[in-house]
Amino acid sequence: MSRSFGPLTIGPLTVGPVDAASAGVRVGAGLIGAGCVVWAALLPVHQGLADFALFLAIFGVAAGALRLALAGVPVPENSFLLPWPLRAWLGFLETLRKVPWEEGALIAVLWLEVLHPARPWHTAVLGAALIAYLLATHLAESGASPGVLRPQVRVLAIGAGLLALGAGAGMLPAAGPGAGSALLRLVAAGALIAAAGLVLPYVARHDAQDRG
Amino acid sequence: MSSSLIPNEQRRRPAGTELSLRWRSSRHARRLLTLGLAGLFIATIARRPEFAGVAAPALLLLAAGRGQRRPPTINVRVRPSARRAFEGELVALDVAAEGQGEYGVRWTLHPGEQIEPAGAAAADGPEARFTVSCERWGRRQIGTMDVVLRDRWRLAEGHLTVALPRLDCYPAPAQQRTTVVLTRLPNRLGEHPARTFGEGIEFAGVREYVPGDRQRSINWPASTRRGRLQVNTFAAERSQDVVLIADATSDVGEPGSSALDLALRGAAAAARVYTDARDRVGVITYQWGGASWLAPGLGRRQVYRIIDSMLASDTGWTRGESFRRLPRAALPPGALVVIFSPLLDQRFVEALRDMRERGFTMLVVDVLNAEPPVRRRMPSRGGLGGSSLPRGARGDGSPRSRGGLGGSSPPANTDRMARRIWRMEQEAIRFSLRELGIPVVHWDGAESLDLPLAGYTRRPLVASGSTGFR
Repeated sequence: MSRSFGPLTIGPLTVGPVDAASAGVRVGAGLIGAGCVVWAALLPVHQGLADFALFLAIFGVAAGALRLALAGVPVPENSFLLPWPLRAWLGFLETLRKVPWEEGALIAVLWLEVLHPARPWHTAVLGAALIAYLLATHLAESGASPGVLRPQVRVLAIGAGLLALGAGAGMLPAAGPGAGSALLRLVAAGALIAAAGLVLPYVARHDAQDRG
Repeated sequence: MSSSLIPNEQRRRPAGTELSLRWRSSRHARRLLTLGLAGLFIATIARRPEFAGVAAPALLLLAAGRGQRRPPTINVRVRPSARRAFEGELVALDVAAEGQGEYGVRWTLHPGEQIEPAGAAAADGPEARFTVSCERWGRRQIGTMDVVLRDRWRLAEGHLTVALPRLDCYPAPAQQRTTVVLTRLPNRLGEHPARTFGEGIEFAGVREYVPGDRQRSINWPASTRRGRLQVNTFAAERSQDVVLIADATSDVGEPGSSALDLALRGAAAAARVYTDARDRVGVITYQWGGASWLAPGLGRRQVYRIIDSMLASDTGWTRGESFRRLPRAALPPGALVVIFSPLLDQRFVEALRDMRERGFTMLVVDVLNAEPPVRRRMPSRGGLGGSSLPRGARGDGSPRSRGGLGGSSPPANTDRMARRIWRMEQEAIRFSLRELGIPVVHWDGAESLDLPLAGYTRRPLVASGSTGFR
């Protein structure tokens, strides 16, 4: 059951009643994003502009969460003859909505993770959390119920399997010394992804038939 | 196939418009692509296969969502429940899409100027209903409707925008129940009791019976008293011609309750109440020396014609016929002329005087409820001396108007004097009209029109000049 919190007033603009479920999804997206940043920043490193990457990640996740929180604020059709504080507020909202904050945060988090020495299972958990962050952000900004993800469950399960396989490949001891061995493991992981991509149309078709 | 074989549901459904879609990736897809490409890039550069695993779910989601066929066009139907509405009246807007296949449809309403959505401005589904209301009279575009098609995986979005139809928003009529009736009415059947005898229902007197009188009209008590047969006589019932004049030259005051708003609302109310009383009602919209007019007519449809006529001439600068040379059809002799005006245009006042001299019986409803704005001025070095008057302040002896707050600077005195002169001019205009025999009543727009007109609706208004009517 969803609960309404009544209208929210921000400056001269009023946002409609906030649904409890959608507010929960927005908060969840922000928390998952914050968790990703914390997870990637564990065991601090001080090389390769790690501090800058951490700043970018925090800023991106925070701005993305703020964008989701202010998604319901209406913007007037005409912005002529408005007082400057209101125009500044509208400019801020426009910037917040146009910049791809989540993409920046993703890149910064991956950058932060790659600065650490190899820790495959840690990276796999981070990958799962990043996918969860993207899905939660998508649900929050589209206002859709989590039920819309049901058709994607099989694909996500295959993706999780590949994620585990990738982590496992990362943990395998090198076949021999040198860069060639690492490249070999990478090629194996790529082949796995390609194979999954080939199988996927059949899985998706089967899923569509079930739905039909 | 004959039309009789078409099911009613299909026959009623209006044809939609085939519109093309602009397809592009959703933000969700772009984010997944970013994660996938970044993961693959890092895996290749750093030679760490676990990052390829990070990229895998995102790339799989993208690959799985690409298989669906995207419709290039869809059929969109938009049907408002009414093309005409009064201010504040709710209008439903039904929208429906066809040919979208498995794609979900999201509708987002962007209301036009002075259009306010009464409920949600966005809805999901192949069919949706929105409710809007018009805030201020005029010919308004309802707005635009954004239609977004989304696939099951929400990776691709098809966008299109539909322009919504126009809505004629009529001014909300003011409250008016009573009518002003002239003493002399044309010889035409109506509902107003005239001073002549006739076949009405209002008792007028008793006279002696003459052969041919109806037996049922014999007044038996009077006949018993006088010893001869007496019959009741009744007043004839007649209708009148009413011409409404809306002064559209000046639109002063707060939007929503300006002089033009009040003029149109008052004229709409008068049109309704006089047509309900079976009078013939016409309208003249005065604009800067010119006028557009509608000849008097009967019936409820005439009310809408009158409002349409006023809305069509709301631009304020269009010129129709010269106001002084209006044809007889627009201004019939002996008509009651009801004027809604702020009386700010001197030429209009002169035209009223001219009409009065030509023998028309007129009644002016003064709709001016604003005063010239006060000039804003920076405070002087002395502190309070240079403060400007608050909006609407009157020079009526209040401490501020007397300069009681630390003394007034000369410009403030000039402003106060100018406003006082302006007020005196307005009073002089109204006084001169009253001296000519034109009643002037003030209406603030909030109260019922019956209140200011009460003095003229209780008894017939004396018609001036020789109209030839009795």
